[in-house]
Amino acid sequence: MKKLSILMLVVMLAGAVLTACQPAPATPEKIIETVIVEKPGETIVQVVTPTPAPKPKKLEIFHWWTAPGEREAADAMFAALKAKHPDIEVVENPVPGGGGVSHRVVLQSRIIAGIPPDTFQTLGGAELKNYVDSGALQPLDDLWKELDYANVIPGPLAKAVTVDGHPYVVPLNMHIQNILYYNLKLFEELGLSAPTKFDELLAACEAIKAAKPDMVCLGLGSKEKWGDAFVFDSILLEEGGPEYYVKLFKGEIDVANDPVFRASLEKFQKLIPYINSDHAGLTWDQSVALVGSEKAAMVIMGTWAIGAFVKGSNWQPGVDFGAVTFPQVPERILLFHPDCYGLATNAPNPEETLNWLRVVASPELQIPTDVTQGGLFARTDIAPTEFPDPIRQELQTYVSQNPGKLILDQHGSILPATAQPIYWDIISAFLAQPDVEKAITETANMMVTYGVKEASAWYQWP
Amino acid sequence: MVFLFPMLIFLIILYGTLVWTIYVSFSDWKTITPNYQLVGFKWYQFIVAQPRFWVDVQNNLKWLILGVFPTVILAIFLAYLLELSPFPVVESYVRTLILYPVAMSFIVTGTIWSWMYEPNRGVFNTLLREIGINSQLRFTTDPQNATYWLILIFIWQYLGFAVIITQSSFRTSELQEMIEAATVDGAGKLRILFSIVIPNIRSGLMVLVSLLLISTLKVFDIVYIVTFGGPGIQTDVLALNMWITTFQQRLFSAGAGLGVIIFLMAFILIIPYTVYALRKWFE
Repeated sequence: MKKLSILMLVVMLAGAVLTACQPAPATPEKIIETVIVEKPGETIVQVVTPTPAPKPKKLEIFHWWTAPGEREAADAMFAALKAKHPDIEVVENPVPGGGGVSHRVVLQSRIIAGIPPDTFQTLGGAELKNYVDSGALQPLDDLWKELDYANVIPGPLAKAVTVDGHPYVVPLNMHIQNILYYNLKLFEELGLSAPTKFDELLAACEAIKAAKPDMVCLGLGSKEKWGDAFVFDSILLEEGGPEYYVKLFKGEIDVANDPVFRASLEKFQKLIPYINSDHAGLTWDQSVALVGSEKAAMVIMGTWAIGAFVKGSNWQPGVDFGAVTFPQVPERILLFHPDCYGLATNAPNPEETLNWLRVVASPELQIPTDVTQGGLFARTDIAPTEFPDPIRQELQTYVSQNPGKLILDQHGSILPATAQPIYWDIISAFLAQPDVEKAITETANMMVTYGVKEASAWYQWP
Repeated sequence: MVFLFPMLIFLIILYGTLVWTIYVSFSDWKTITPNYQLVGFKWYQFIVAQPRFWVDVQNNLKWLILGVFPTVILAIFLAYLLELSPFPVVESYVRTLILYPVAMSFIVTGTIWSWMYEPNRGVFNTLLREIGINSQLRFTTDPQNATYWLILIFIWQYLGFAVIITQSSFRTSELQEMIEAATVDGAGKLRILFSIVIPNIRSGLMVLVSLLLISTLKVFDIVYIVTFGGPGIQTDVLALNMWITTFQQRLFSAGAGLGVIIFLMAFILIIPYTVYALRKWFE
């Protein structure tokens, strides 16, 4: 009896499956009119059906601008697209969470699964290189030629998104990393001028410590680890100069026997007493808030900190806080990374994606987006006065006049993606427990383990 | 028979992904594009050559020992105190209060605790300063002791759960009879706890210990939220290393290898223990 009922169940299931597998009857095409054409001797019947409706124009975008401030910038981007191509419907897959960490996890899974979005946000440098190596992006030589893009953006920016001679993405901005923000009123009160080299920074710290014993000189938030590398980068840049900086991260320096790297670590160690001791528990925006709440006098952070000062602490640039490029010795170099969009391999809507990229390259998108989000314009032919704050006006002017003074920073880095988190850990560990020998050995090992020399050879500077 | 199909699909998915992870760990997948060419133990050699891996192993051992045993000992005492409570109404309220933390996500408790641990503005140091102690405690930003402060969060969160399990194993009729008999014989409360209660709840404790061991071995969220492995790599654990290796460094095979190592550790440490404990429990 039991066996019988099981058998019946199986038969029923099989029946259901077979019915489901039958091809569905074809829906007859809608007939608008039937025309009968009569010719002598024969009658032709022509059936006229409506022309198929045009495929709706869709564009699937992956981006990580979902935090307050960034969301508005994303809206500005899509408004610019809507103005030029009202018929393109944007399908966003925003992933909450700053820095694009969870964004990358989802995006990578989709690329691996072979169902990429049409276009996705990426930084230049090592991150872009990773996508190119994986075959996830298509080269955009024709588009760049059509837009003459290489001639309207700074050379180092074009090189940061060009792999083996082919540009792979369209950058829409540049974030500058090495900026020292300081409490303007405090500096005026103490009669200090903004430091532009390490010795001046130390001298300013001593003066601040003497005048305000409760105030920390240099605010730092290193929970995300890269904050430490930012400070160390500026020391490296002063100690070794721009060529050295590029060579170091391209793995062309013998770190184990290098006097510059050692001297930079020793200088970094001298700075530790002037840094807030709880830095390992703070994020970058909390470190900016330290200055905004007058618990710290200075902070080294990227251009994105301007918005954090204005919105987080209600401080106005040029009134409450000042900003200088740090260091400016031996020359004033700006460390940068761009946000970019490209055309994914096997993108479902390539035509719409190319139209999107044309908009990304245009001033109509870059002006509202970059002013809102916090970076500089990728194009050098946009008037710097579009920026509301004097800091970015000055930086944009400097970039337009000296386009060669840009080098990739820690985020869209020269170091390959495999080595970068390890490097951050080494510098972060050094700051927690300073040990020059250990940091040198570990950095030298890292260069070998991750084959930095081969992996970063693609990056050309100047 | 038919009703076994869902079970079969479940098993295939569960063990299929496990086998798949083991396979990936022996292949050479190191960018976004999969590369399934087998390379033997290459990535395992890579993993054990990293100093970071050994820091992780040490930290995971700290978690295993300090996360489990203090929790169990505290739970026994708290459960016993609740049992002794003369007011059953109060007892049930207190029990709910103690159980409450385990109902929250580690993301929530981690965030709250990291605020409380803040050396300059956090609750702990502010309170200490209020009562006149100039606290120099730096909690999770102290490179020497950060892991211990993280483990304290875990103990706080799991204590209520441990108390409930322990208390439920008090409630067998044999144990209650023994306690009554001992009380009649004039044994003190502490004497009853050590000579009668603890020896007779051994099997309940076994289950508790193995569940806590599993939770500490796979710890990830507390570390990710509160310190992200810092200062430096002082509080890094295997699970966080796996996440960074896979999704930041994009060394998928190495990440899979770390996953297999965590799995093996769990297998060696926990499976025989759980089997033994469950057998005792059902005897």
